[in-house]
Amino acid sequence: MTLTIEHLVKEFPKEKEMLLAIDDFNLEVKEREFVCILGPSGCGKTTLLRIIAGLETKTSGSMRLDGREIAGPGRDRGMVFQEFALFPWRTVRKNVEFGLEIRRIPTAERTKTAEEFINLVGLKGFENSYPYQLSGGMKQRVGIARALANNPEVLLMDEPFGALDAQTRNMMQKELLRIWQQTKKTVIFITHSVDEACYLADRIVVMTTRPGTVKEIFTIDLPRPRDRVSVEFANLRKKVLAELERETIVNTVAAP
Amino acid sequence: MPNKPRLILGIFNRERFLSNSKQIIIGIIALVVFVAVWWEVSLTLKLSYVPAPDAVSNAFFTSFGKVEMSLGTTMWGNIAASLQRFAIGFIFAFIIALPLGLLMGFFRIADSFFKPIVEIFRPMPPIAWVPVFLLIFGLFWGPVMVIFLGVLFPLLSNVIFGVKSVDAPLIDAARTMGANRFALFTKVVMPYTIPYIMTGITIGLGIGWMCIVAAEMIGAVGGGVGYYISYMSQIGRYDFMFAGMVVIAILGIVTVGASRFVEKRLNRRMGIK
Repeated sequence: MTLTIEHLVKEFPKEKEMLLAIDDFNLEVKEREFVCILGPSGCGKTTLLRIIAGLETKTSGSMRLDGREIAGPGRDRGMVFQEFALFPWRTVRKNVEFGLEIRRIPTAERTKTAEEFINLVGLKGFENSYPYQLSGGMKQRVGIARALANNPEVLLMDEPFGALDAQTRNMMQKELLRIWQQTKKTVIFITHSVDEACYLADRIVVMTTRPGTVKEIFTIDLPRPRDRVSVEFANLRKKVLAELERETIVNTVAAP
Repeated sequence: MPNKPRLILGIFNRERFLSNSKQIIIGIIALVVFVAVWWEVSLTLKLSYVPAPDAVSNAFFTSFGKVEMSLGTTMWGNIAASLQRFAIGFIFAFIIALPLGLLMGFFRIADSFFKPIVEIFRPMPPIAWVPVFLLIFGLFWGPVMVIFLGVLFPLLSNVIFGVKSVDAPLIDAARTMGANRFALFTKVVMPYTIPYIMTGITIGLGIGWMCIVAAEMIGAVGGGVGYYISYMSQIGRYDFMFAGMVVIAILGIVTVGASRFVEKRLNRRMGIK
């Protein structure tokens, strides 16, 4: 599996003119890689992810998954949402089975697959709970299980832990790494937290402010699990933060 | 914070119990005051068409046991007749409003086509149709059609509103899992609309009872509580007339209450407060 993004441009119509959201974005994501896309708010990182997911169209450039041009949503790309986006009328099991149901997988197999992924995300015993009965962290576990149950090649995650409190967030990051190592999926993870990106990623892609493009790519070779209070981790954070801050400050000053 | 009271379950429940019983006591006091004032007024006025509460209550209980000669049935029979009309009108409204609302909410073409027609009929009070409907549909189907109209519009508006309120991320999530437009409609939009339909039903029930009584008062075949009220008024038995009105109030409270109960349970399951 290889995701290749070349000269990607996205424009939005705004009043009478066109607003350039993403400009000449280039990136290649390799099999089993964990890539974090980090950028100031409004830099188009969510738009980028939505284009990869096929939920938005690109203006120009190319975006290929294993050589095939991406056109519209497909089950080779699973997505996890910041607002969880669980179906409130479905139990945990039924949420996880959604994609399988759409594909008309037989019930017995559906139940088996759902169970497997519910266990993977640590929700055994909550199969028959409804989303309103779950905490934020548990909801997002369902979100992850639901995306994975469809067996996608890439897992797209749009600030998935953004709505969680700090402690839950740290725990979910640890859990995500475990799940990632067990399932061997490629992950593209959007965040605006430097700490989160440093903790999770193989590579961090820092984006510029609008129009968003690749500003810098950091390759991280710290072994996992990473120690957030180690000197190496602090140095990495400092480096990434400096890059991100420069971007934010330059544009804050430049803006009228 | 919202979860906190659960941790101190005992105290929380007690407080809630106290405030609930306080509300109930105040409610009972209000009812007692109301009956007392009514009694006083009727004793002072000494008018036959303002009977005292005891006369109405006697008439109320008598009406269930006594077969009214000219109507050929007891109050039970009248309630059955009204409920039957009500149910038929309501079911027809539901059968039309549900698919029409889903279509109008989901497909812009359907909305553009039906909206002008709906907007013409919506502001007309259903009761205004009574004379026409009695002429066209007769004494049985006329009142049924009035209920149909009364229930149709609140139900339709709520279904359309429900479809248009579907959370965008839910649609996105379904699409990333491979849902086509048909699957979006059946597996996301339709279930999402259910609590909105239930709200429409609750509102429709309230309006429906107003419609049926009005329709039956003008004309009905085979009795009915509305017909009973107007008959008792014509023969000057105002105590029985009021008893009929009490019956309508009870029917309304029971049906709307039941519907609201279902609505609340549904909302809870759907995660709506």
